[in-house]
Order: sequence, then structure tokens, then C-alpha cells
Amino acid sequence: MLGIKKRYITIVALIVAVSMFAVGCGGGAEQGADTDKEQAADVIKIGVYEPLTGTNAAGGQMTVEGIELANKLYPEVLGKKVELFIVDNKSEKQEAANAVERLIGKEKVNVIIGSYGSSLAMAGGPVALDAKVPVIGCSPTNPAVTLDNDFYFRVCFIDPFQGTVMSNYATGQLGAKTAAIIQDVQQDYSVGLSSYFEKAFKATNGDTAIVAKVNYNTGDKDFSAQLTEVKSKNPDVIFAPGNFLECGILVAKARELGINVPILGGDTWEAEEFLNQVTQYKDIYFSTHFTAEEPVTQVSTTFLDEFKNEYPDKEVNAFAALGFDTYILALDAMERAGSADSQAIRDALAETKDFQGATGIITLDINGDATKTAVIKKVADGKFVYETKVDPQ
Amino acid sequence: MDDKKQIKFILNIAVLALICVFLWWGNDNLSSFYIRILNLSAIFVILGISMNLVLGFTGMFSLGHSGFMCIGAYVASILTMSPASKEIIYFMEPITPILAQIQWPIFPAIIMAGVVAALFGFLVGIPALRLRDDYLAIATLGFAEIIRIIVTNTITITNGALGLKNIPSVKSMWVYWGIAIITIIILKKIVNSSWGYSFKAIRDNEIAAEAMGINLFSHKLLSFSIGAFFAGIAGALMAFLITSVDPTMFRFTFTFQILLIVVLGGMGSLTGSVISAVAITILMEVLRVVEEPINFFGLLQIPGLPGMRMVIFALGLLLVILYYRQGLMGTREFNWDYILNKIDSFRKRGASM
Repeated sequence: MLGIKKRYITIVALIVAVSMFAVGCGGGAEQGADTDKEQAADVIKIGVYEPLTGTNAAGGQMTVEGIELANKLYPEVLGKKVELFIVDNKSEKQEAANAVERLIGKEKVNVIIGSYGSSLAMAGGPVALDAKVPVIGCSPTNPAVTLDNDFYFRVCFIDPFQGTVMSNYATGQLGAKTAAIIQDVQQDYSVGLSSYFEKAFKATNGDTAIVAKVNYNTGDKDFSAQLTEVKSKNPDVIFAPGNFLECGILVAKARELGINVPILGGDTWEAEEFLNQVTQYKDIYFSTHFTAEEPVTQVSTTFLDEFKNEYPDKEVNAFAALGFDTYILALDAMERAGSADSQAIRDALAETKDFQGATGIITLDINGDATKTAVIKKVADGKFVYETKVDPQ
Repeated sequence: MDDKKQIKFILNIAVLALICVFLWWGNDNLSSFYIRILNLSAIFVILGISMNLVLGFTGMFSLGHSGFMCIGAYVASILTMSPASKEIIYFMEPITPILAQIQWPIFPAIIMAGVVAALFGFLVGIPALRLRDDYLAIATLGFAEIIRIIVTNTITITNGALGLKNIPSVKSMWVYWGIAIITIIILKKIVNSSWGYSFKAIRDNEIAAEAMGINLFSHKLLSFSIGAFFAGIAGALMAFLITSVDPTMFRFTFTFQILLIVVLGGMGSLTGSVISAVAITILMEVLRVVEEPINFFGLLQIPGLPGMRMVIFALGLLLVILYYRQGLMGTREFNWDYILNKIDSFRKRGASM
């Protein structure tokens, strides 16, 4: 008995040693943070958690550029300096939860901004809710992010809205009665958006309106089988949300096969790589958050000018604009609340109405989701062209 | 000899007591940030040692760990979510009626998560374990991806791309570290049983092991299923720690993170995996310092570079692979005998001088 026991309990000893070490480190760090806090008593702290490395890094970086630009333009609120704490969440859920916990526990931030990638935002949300610190999301479009969480808000529209907008556009503007869906079964974004589109399209055009729903996988390069099936069903429009890479090939292939009906997609299509594949084609539409051609508000103009000054080599993008909006919304809420207290900021955020952002006029609904204008763009003459705005009904 | 046994017994009791005191003290006095990090390290301890059983002790290069975690996380979440929140979360398509009213307590759900994951491990193992080395790695990697895709597309069970949230939150270190310690004890027992010796024989030389009368296939399947069982449990704990799960969480990159723990700690050493799991999880947070803007006394300003942490880990891994192949612990384990002998010989030397 003793012999067996000895073997395993030995390991346990090490755990204790290591845990002790951890606590030692932890204790030290905590003291450090406390002194920092005293020094910076008259600073307002905004925490930012974004994926700066890993699979979502590109989106996270664009967002942070927008936030930093806004911070540069508006460095003060309530007569105090605003300090940004930007932490990387590695595009991983457990890191995102750690990052939020760190921002709240160690840096003692007043309000948090983030994160690109709904999955990451869903990991950070409960932590902020527990600590009662408000979070404003820039681009997590999954409806579950703000669901049942009073401290999570966002300035972007949500996937069901995007799906509904495209469905309404297809029915109203393009006069479609039937549609085919081509989805990437490996991408939650694609599967999600497809189901919202399907739901909305069936609601307006009847249960048989979706004539085909075919699947492909991320990384596929040959879509002839799927497209032949779609062609045989002869739909009025095709809805194919997904990665810009696969969709670029898919759309080009569809046109080669003589499928000339309009093809619709989501906000991921707004990428150079997609455009290069489909330059010579037309009737390609997608919804997005923002357009540089048609400034929606006064703030859009400011944002566009300043962005070009600050990052002359970079293309203006929706994610930077959304990051910009989150930051100015946070400042606006603090001004309306007249305080930097987390609870006061939350209450002010919940009452946000007709807020002028770079991406449009934002009103936050009871869930904390933005009701705002979506932009529809199309491919024409080898570039993305602004087509129309769709207001929330 | 009896003396030594007694000393070891006292030492063991003391260590256990110390852990209990620490957990009891930590739950009340540590900030939620430190508790979260420690809980996360407990999860990585379970993941590290269970993967080590498959990879380090049985020599099967399997990369399916994130798939088993995914199964465990979903099973535990669906079993423990309240019917009310299921109704809210499954707003696209309602959940299958059979699952809608189920609400289990935490512990049975964790066990069930492990059992279901082990069952999948068993089923996948039957065809996959006929393969070896790289082929096995590819097959298991493929399996993990298949699980993720199935989860994305079975909307009435898993809520598809939306993911699940409002999973009951468990914060107590007793749960995470309690299960981690039980896992360590069980795996230590397995490794030192006749099964464990057979695993190691298979790792060292399959043909020789077979010649000794070891049934290769059943032993491999056993090791693989046990690994899957604990991966499932770790997945369940991960769900309770983060309180939301979704399909993008368990990409294959997650498996590589566990692989890093196993390789750095030493393939074939439970002690090594435990140390490296805790160390890596804690360092991941501590090293955030290197990503912040650094200011050298106002003379030199270095802007913050995201990803520097990873660079440090990558360098560490490179160094280990180039100069310290066997990892931190090699195949050695921590034991009292070694320490007691050291003290003894030190004393003797002192006396003879």
C-alpha cells in the first residue's frame, strides 16, 4: 500500500512546489500593479483584447489600427488622459478569457474593447460580466455574444441581420423568387450566414424558394460538381458566403460555366484576393459594414481623412472603421455618464441612441446590438463599387 | 528500510496536506485572475499527461486530442445547461427534444464527457491504430477535423456555428486541481502496472513486444481510449472554465500546444508533463511583459511587438530539440528515494570529513 502510494504522491509534491512558485510570482506582480495604479490615478484606462497573432491576426490588427487612430485624435475624456492597454488573445478562447481577466484584475481598466472573432468575444464576455465591466465589441457578428449578457455591446450588425439584408436585397432589388445556397461546411461563419439567409428567404418567398443547398470544404479548388448541380436547378440568385479565397475561385468558375445569375456573399468578400479573381465579371454583390465612397456621417469623413494621413500605404477597411467607432463610442458614453465608473459607463452605453460613428448611425437595442445601416457593394469595372444602403426596418 | 518507508509516508501525507491548505487558502485569497491561470494549468496538466500516455509511453503519434476535447466539452455543456438557457441559446433551430430537459450536476457530466470521448476513441482507434507513425498522425488529425465539422453542422444538437454559452461556471480550484491530481494518480498507477510495462515495450520495439506475447492491437487501443477519456474530461473542464464552447475552439493548433507541453516536459515522463504544463501556462501570462512597449530609461523606446511570447517558446523548443532531445525530465520521474539518498550521502560525507 505504502509502496504504491509513494510513487504517485511524489508527483503531487512537485505540483505544490510549482504552485507556490506561481503564487510567489503572482504576489509580486500584484504589488507592482498597485503602485502603478496609484501613479496613474488620473488616467482613464481602456483595455483592448484583440487577436494580434494566430489565425485571426489580420482582422485584429486592422481593428487595433482603427482604435489607435481614434486614440490619437481623441486622447482625452472628462479632462483626463486616456490610456490604451492592448493585449493579444492569440486567436484562442482560453487566452481571450485570460486577457479580459488580466485587463480587469491587473490593469483595472474602466471599459474594454474587443474582440474580432465571435468565438473569442464569447470567451471574454462572461469574465467581464462577473466583474461588471462593460465591453464594446467591434466586429463579433455572432448573435450569441451579447445574448443574455448585460455588459456586452457592439457597434457592428449581427449575422442574422446580414443574412436578412441580403435576402431582402435579392427579393426586392434583384426580383429573385428562388435561390441556391453554396456553403463552406467547415466555416461556422458560412454555415451561420447561410442559415439566416435561408430562414429570411423562405419567409418571404415560401418554403420551396431555396432550390439547392450544396456544400464544399475550406481549401477546395474545384467547384464544378457543386456548380453543375446549382445550374441544373436554375435559381434566380446564388448565395455563397465564405472565405474570400475559395469564393473567388467559385464565383469565377460559376461565370465560366455560364451561370449568369447574380451571386451574393457576406462581408468577408471585401478583400483584394477576392477582387483579383472576379475582376472581369459583374452581378456580384455582398454586404459590408462601411464604404469609403459614400461617407455615411460627418465622422466617416473625419475617419477617412485621418486614416489616409496616418496609414498612407494602407487600404481603408471596415474593421479599422469599426475599431474607431468602438473607441469614440466608449468616450461618448463616459461623457454622457459624466464619470469613468464601469457601472455608469454601462448604463450610458445601454442608452446609446443615434450615435454618429464612422460606419453609420448607431442605436443600441435591448440586447446591446447595433441597429444600423448595412452597405451593399458590387463588383464593377474591376473594383468594388458602392451599390446601396439598407436601413434596418 | 522500514525507517525510510515511514519517512516517505510522512512526506507524502505532508505534501497532500500542504496542497489542501494551499487550495483552501487560494480559493479565498487569490484574485480571480490567478485562480483562472492556475485552473487553466490544471486542465493543461490533464491534457499533457493524457497525451503523454499515448505519445510518450505507448509511442503512438496521435494528433486527435483536440477532437476528443471537443466531444467532452460539448457533452458536458449540453448535459449541464439549464433548460431555460437552452431555449434562449438555440434560437435558430430548437434543440432535439430528448436533450432539451436534461440537466445533470457537474460531476456526473464530467464523467460522462470522458466516457463518450473514450467511446469515440475506441471506435476511431479500431481502424486508425492499424496505422503507424506519420500515417497515424494524419488519420487522427483528420478525425479531429471531422469532429469539428460535424459539430458545426449538427445544429439541433450542438447549435452549430452559434456555439453554446451560459454553461454553468465552476471557479473552485478544488474541482480543477482535484481532478488533475486524481488523473495523475490514475495514470501513474497505469504506467507502473503490467499494462504500463507493455505500453513501454510496444513503444521501444513493437516486434520484440509482440514476440513477448503482448497483444499489440488491444494494448494500443486501451492506451488510446484512456488518453481520449482524459482528453474528454479536460474538454469538459475547459467548458466550465470558459463557460462557452464553439466549433472554432478546437482547431488542430490546439493539439500542437499540448504537443509542446509533452515534448518540452519529456516524452515518457509524467512529472515532466506536469511541470511543463504548469510552467508554460504561467509563463504565457508572465511573458506578456515582452510584448508591451519597453522604455529603457527614456533613452530607447521599443514599441510593443505582439507574438514575442511565441518567439520565446519557439526558441525554447528549438533549443530543446537541438541540444536536449529528451526534454526537461527525459523518461525520469520525481521520487523521494532519490532525494533521500542525496541527503543521506550528503550527511555521510559530512560525517566522514
